[in-house]
Amino acid sequence: MPTGETVRMATVLAAAGISKHYGGVYALKGAHFEVRAGEVHALMGENGAGKSTLARIVAGSTRADSGTIAIDGRAVRIASPVDAQRLGIGIIYQELDLFPSLTAGENIVIGNLHAAGQRMEAFCRPYLDQVGLECEVRRPVSSLPIGQRQLLAIARALSMSARIILMDEPTSSLSEDAAERLFGLIRDLKRSGFAIVYVSHKMDEIFRLADRATVLRDGATVGTVEMPSTSAEELIHMMVGRQLAVTARRERTAADPILMVRGLTTTMLKDVSFELRHGEVLGIAGLVGSGRSELGAALYGLDRIVSGSIEARAAIGLVPEDRRLQGLMMQMSVLENSTLRVLGRVARFGWLDRRREAAELAPVARDLALNCPSVDAPLNRLSGGNQQKVLLSRWLLARPGVLFLDDPTRGIDVGAKQDIYRMIDELAAGGAGILLVSSELPELLRCSDRILVLRDGRIAARYYARDATQEKIMAAAAFGDFIDGARC
Amino acid sequence: MRAIALLRRAQSLTALAGIVILAIAISPTAGDGSRIFLQAGNLTDILRQISLIGIISLAMTFVILTGGIDLSVGSILALSTSLVAMWLARGYTQHIAVAILVAVAASGAMGAINGGVIAATRMQPFVVTLASMIGVRGLAKWITSNQNIDIGFGRDLAAEFAATFREKAIVIGSYAVAAAIFWLVLARTVFGRHVRAVGDNERAAEYAGLPIRRTKIWVYMLSGLLSGAAGVLYAAENHQGNPNAGVAYELDAIAAVVIGGTRLSGGKGSISGTIVGTLIMGVLTNMLRLNNVDSNVEMMIKAVIIVLAVAVQREGKES
Repeated sequence: MPTGETVRMATVLAAAGISKHYGGVYALKGAHFEVRAGEVHALMGENGAGKSTLARIVAGSTRADSGTIAIDGRAVRIASPVDAQRLGIGIIYQELDLFPSLTAGENIVIGNLHAAGQRMEAFCRPYLDQVGLECEVRRPVSSLPIGQRQLLAIARALSMSARIILMDEPTSSLSEDAAERLFGLIRDLKRSGFAIVYVSHKMDEIFRLADRATVLRDGATVGTVEMPSTSAEELIHMMVGRQLAVTARRERTAADPILMVRGLTTTMLKDVSFELRHGEVLGIAGLVGSGRSELGAALYGLDRIVSGSIEARAAIGLVPEDRRLQGLMMQMSVLENSTLRVLGRVARFGWLDRRREAAELAPVARDLALNCPSVDAPLNRLSGGNQQKVLLSRWLLARPGVLFLDDPTRGIDVGAKQDIYRMIDELAAGGAGILLVSSELPELLRCSDRILVLRDGRIAARYYARDATQEKIMAAAAFGDFIDGARC
Repeated sequence: MRAIALLRRAQSLTALAGIVILAIAISPTAGDGSRIFLQAGNLTDILRQISLIGIISLAMTFVILTGGIDLSVGSILALSTSLVAMWLARGYTQHIAVAILVAVAASGAMGAINGGVIAATRMQPFVVTLASMIGVRGLAKWITSNQNIDIGFGRDLAAEFAATFREKAIVIGSYAVAAAIFWLVLARTVFGRHVRAVGDNERAAEYAGLPIRRTKIWVYMLSGLLSGAAGVLYAAENHQGNPNAGVAYELDAIAAVVIGGTRLSGGKGSISGTIVGTLIMGVLTNMLRLNNVDSNVEMMIKAVIIVLAVAVQREGKES
């Protein structure tokens, strides 16, 4: 069909020079990509590469600092989700932006520019049929299983006359059956001439679905490839890039184990077993949602353990992933935040000795090169890196034998990162066992003795850091134990 | 920077100074030309009048700092007045101290129940203390058969109790001592630090391994204890145990805390601010009454003052 061909080849969406920063950190630096009608276009990249931010900018829920977006070759301004809706752009968020206490029908018509003056059943039914969702329009969303909610969200986008549909990690919480159903729908939509932007880092899905893929790294576009003419290795290589050679770690002599985990199973983890030794840094790699943070929660006693055992020969400390949400008291001072776990040590019969508090913090602050106007300054005056150092100081003061660091350098500047690496080295040298989660593979390779790769709550691969490469780790995180690693 | 920070901290104090100056300026004069507002008798009257709400608002500050609220304080006060009056007027005990102890301990127990339910069920403090506001009021009315229990004016034990505990020096002194203790506990103790940490970021407090439940039970129990103590003073002052006493006291206490700069969302606030907030309300009431302002108008003016006081403090809020 000649007409069909022309439709397929037409570029419907072109984004160029898109930049966005949060505070001092760039999420996107001049990213660009183009999407054609009738194709599934994958947006790929490591955690934090900027894929989701780029999708949200196109959908109008985040505003770019700079850059241009063209629809059908015409430059447009997308300042809000309503603008995007008018232009025929729909987005299905990873965390589905549905209203759980409203009904399916209400979720479709709410905020919908096209639904005015129509009966709900008559308006909604065609779209529900289109996505293959057999459900009453009066059914509350909270009673729908997650897979059907996904379909409802797509029906909603279709009902808003979307021609370009962005999907952010759509299978992250779907069962295999539900995922298969979604893939079928995506193929149908593609054949009908819709443009699908599929944000994911799951390699197998992308090879099955996508026609082309644009790879982002550190907020910039690395390139766009045709799926039939590329390989997993090439994509992984584009995603992790050529980083500087990592200086070999000094070998640590085998010491006694300080933490033994056997068959640990929680709602998110499946049969995780490993040993951590005195003076060892065990790196934990994995994509977001692979169970890396949940491992910390389970070790720290915050998650219920279904089966398996944790045998720790020392206290376990946990520096959580989200320092603002899980770590710090933003209205309290630097000193108050850092001594929170050791108040017993600086108090006598419940009365605090401020001089002893300050004396406890001083050497740790010096070691960490903590930079703050005064220890009495409220935390919201500090930079992200220094806030992170305050959180670390809380645990350094507590002197745990095992420390779980969950992405401790996320969103902080290079100098602060170096200070934190040095601290990890020193702690390990002092005999502590460190579990280090990181999204940045060079960082894991730089700091760890061994590396565990988690995927879907299981250990997908284990490497000695000296044998590991970014490509191997990335492949294991995305595919499971697909590329053979030097086991340990 | 430091000067601005100081000014910001002193905002509620500035407001208090403004209201005091206004009160002096518009005060009616006595026969000898002196301003009635400034007479020693009037100033100590103000302190005495604010003492009950003042005492309650000290523990309310702790509760609000944890991110909670306690609506049951007025009902607990009523229970306490009833208990102390019953024990004394009906001769259940021959010791004033025992009667007071019974009333305050029962009040503390009510607070501990509030805290226990909130800590165990993670229900919203608003809902839990709303329920106990209703339930404890019912309890107070039930044990008294909804009757006021008069404390004798004669020479019995009850009369002795009333005569002692309605003394200005005792009432104001109780408030001063409680304020000093609560100020020190918040500023200088491990418990005070826990209170602020839990309210600032409960999730982080959990990750830091702080005793969140214990801290919550304690703040509500303290709130119960102080409401009970205020109830004892109320009974002495009014010569009666009154199961209908203390209605809307929770709102006055919350207002004092909020005017004093404590954030309703928790984590930030101070006892000194609450004391200033209580004084602002007290001086304002006194000023308006000295000038014979209608008590309904007085409420409207108070409403404006509350909104203004909080609005001014928001100016300096960091994003």
